[in-house]
Amino acid sequence: MHLISSPELDQFRAQCRDWLADNVPRGLRPLEGAALRDFDLAWQRCQFDAGWAGISWPKEYGGRGASVLEQLIWHEEYARAGAPASASMFVALSHAGPTLIVSGSEAQKQRHLPTILRGEENWCQGFSEPGAGSDLASLKCQATIDGDHLVVNGTKIWTTYAQHAVWQELLVRTDPDQPRHKGISWVICDMRSPQIEVRPIKAMSGLTHFAQCFYDDVRIPLTNVVGEINGGWKVAMTTLGFERGTGTIAHQIELSKVVERLIAAARSMSGSADEAVMAELATLKSEVMALRSLTVASVSRGMREVVPGPEGNVVALYFAELSRRVNGFAFDLLGAKALERDSAHDWSLHYFESFKWGIGGGTNEIRRNAIAERMLGLPKSPSARDAAR
Amino acid sequence: MIIDLTLSDDQRMIEDGARTFLQDRLPVERLREPQNHGGAAERALWQELSELGLFGLGCAERDGGLGMGLAEEVLAARALGLILASPAVLAQLAAPHFATEGTVPATLVAGTTKAAFANYLSDGVAHLIDGDGAEQVLLLSPEGAMLLPRNQLGEAQVVAGMDETVMLARVSVSSNLPARCSGADRTSLLISAYLTGIAQATTSMAVDYAKTREQFGQPIGAFQAIKHQCADMASRAAAAEAQCFYTAVGFGGGLDDASESAAARMLASRAAIDNARANIQIHGGMGFTAECDAHLFLKRAHLMALLGSSRTAERQRLLGPD
Repeated sequence: MHLISSPELDQFRAQCRDWLADNVPRGLRPLEGAALRDFDLAWQRCQFDAGWAGISWPKEYGGRGASVLEQLIWHEEYARAGAPASASMFVALSHAGPTLIVSGSEAQKQRHLPTILRGEENWCQGFSEPGAGSDLASLKCQATIDGDHLVVNGTKIWTTYAQHAVWQELLVRTDPDQPRHKGISWVICDMRSPQIEVRPIKAMSGLTHFAQCFYDDVRIPLTNVVGEINGGWKVAMTTLGFERGTGTIAHQIELSKVVERLIAAARSMSGSADEAVMAELATLKSEVMALRSLTVASVSRGMREVVPGPEGNVVALYFAELSRRVNGFAFDLLGAKALERDSAHDWSLHYFESFKWGIGGGTNEIRRNAIAERMLGLPKSPSARDAAR
Repeated sequence: MIIDLTLSDDQRMIEDGARTFLQDRLPVERLREPQNHGGAAERALWQELSELGLFGLGCAERDGGLGMGLAEEVLAARALGLILASPAVLAQLAAPHFATEGTVPATLVAGTTKAAFANYLSDGVAHLIDGDGAEQVLLLSPEGAMLLPRNQLGEAQVVAGMDETVMLARVSVSSNLPARCSGADRTSLLISAYLTGIAQATTSMAVDYAKTREQFGQPIGAFQAIKHQCADMASRAAAAEAQCFYTAVGFGGGLDDASESAAARMLASRAAIDNARANIQIHGGMGFTAECDAHLFLKRAHLMALLGSSRTAERQRLLGPD
């Protein structure tokens, strides 16, 4: 535990800050649709041209190869500058790309990594199924080998930006006779295939950012399998949490801005603010500060660990629960006025959207299981024990 | 400024050393014996605690200390919380920082001049806590902190307290009330660290019990109703601890120390009390008895949460005056 400071890091920070100040897109970012994707791709291209793309990616694959400290500085300055979240580029930059770097063949890397960094092609994720959510390893989407191709039949759900992505990281069952985790393969799927039907799903906020995908004899060349056939579970798990905490800095800073906005609103209200309301605000502020400290602790661990530990679940769980409370608090504070959606800050949108953090990418319940079983060493739940047999 | 929150090898050594010593010589079980209450067990080990360097951990070497910082003191304070050490030990750790560097009485750093906390109530009355033999008193109120000689306070009138393992005595205060100073924030942070020790100890106690206690043919920790409570306990403890560490490392380095330490205090008090409650619940019938140590953590958590702190004062430090 100590303060780190050096002229080199200060200089790097100034460099980040200056470039971001001049280049962060000023126009309003579209909330959804192809317009959102095109906005994200253009911003990615802009970062690539200036040498900032793939800040954590190794240099040999076109990334910047920044140290963890530099990544931390970049993400802090990025959030402070109000730069856009990676959104429709998230899977490509934070999951598919890193997975290819670790597990892909040379040909796969050469084909896909540059187009991601240059903002030419984005990716989506095909993991969850209607019958395989928290219990991902029970997935059924089937792929049979036919010559030098896989033939895929089945469905995937909660695929964010499926309707706007070029590629998909797809988990399929290639051997139904093997135990659950063993018969799964990780494949690169071309979303332009006509045998894929994408049905967008509207979320409670009114936004349509995810979809269900249906695969009807979709042919995928065997050269698109990443890692071994039937070795897909390992491929998928290797890169979970690749960002090592730095990826959540933007969310944490965003949330602290919302709390400051609420505090300012409370101060500007006519008459003295209700004591109970101020007490809850203070609690929320202290917890947002704790989230920052947890993030700093997580990044600190990331400087030393090779494989991220289960502690990341604490940060994710804390963020998911706090995010709902912070965004929902606007209604307690502002009263019925906040029910209007066309105000300067659409509280409803942020409140509704905040529910996704406790569901997507691992529900709060699954995260609690992971904390209890992997950090505290408690016995596995009966269901998980039975399934593991 | 970047803050690295991973413990250095030296820090790990200090923490392990303190934990091993304290758990060996002052285990929580000591508090089952009334003769060890009121800081008696600690006073009997005072010389050894001093030789460990505990009291001068964060004091400059020219003042007879070990020349380390607040981060190391926070680690020691957390270790004290783990075994519910007498608050007087923490007072001894905090007291030297109320003198300016170079003028700290060597006897205070060495522990030969003994210190204890007093918690200001109202109307010129304070609670002296485990104050037997104390010559210096660190008087805390939600607004501030000051160090004064014991003889400036009135005679002690022992009262029955919520936490029977400490000696609570009413004393009259005739001096001015303590003002806010960086020593007050520093002391509050050490109390927060002690509280995170309680939050951590109760988590470990609940987890250990959930692994061994069997019902319906399996350890109760296999049931999500129990394991999710344990996960929440660990998360609360981790959040409070991270905030304490962050505040300690950044202290005096340009952060808003008053608001950072106020946040640490709110989080640590909540984590200690909530975890102490959950620990009792997870222990079921045993948890409700005086034979199980779970109640000791709850009582001490409440006492420490209210030592020089109030919800209103912490809120105002965090959000500014109402």
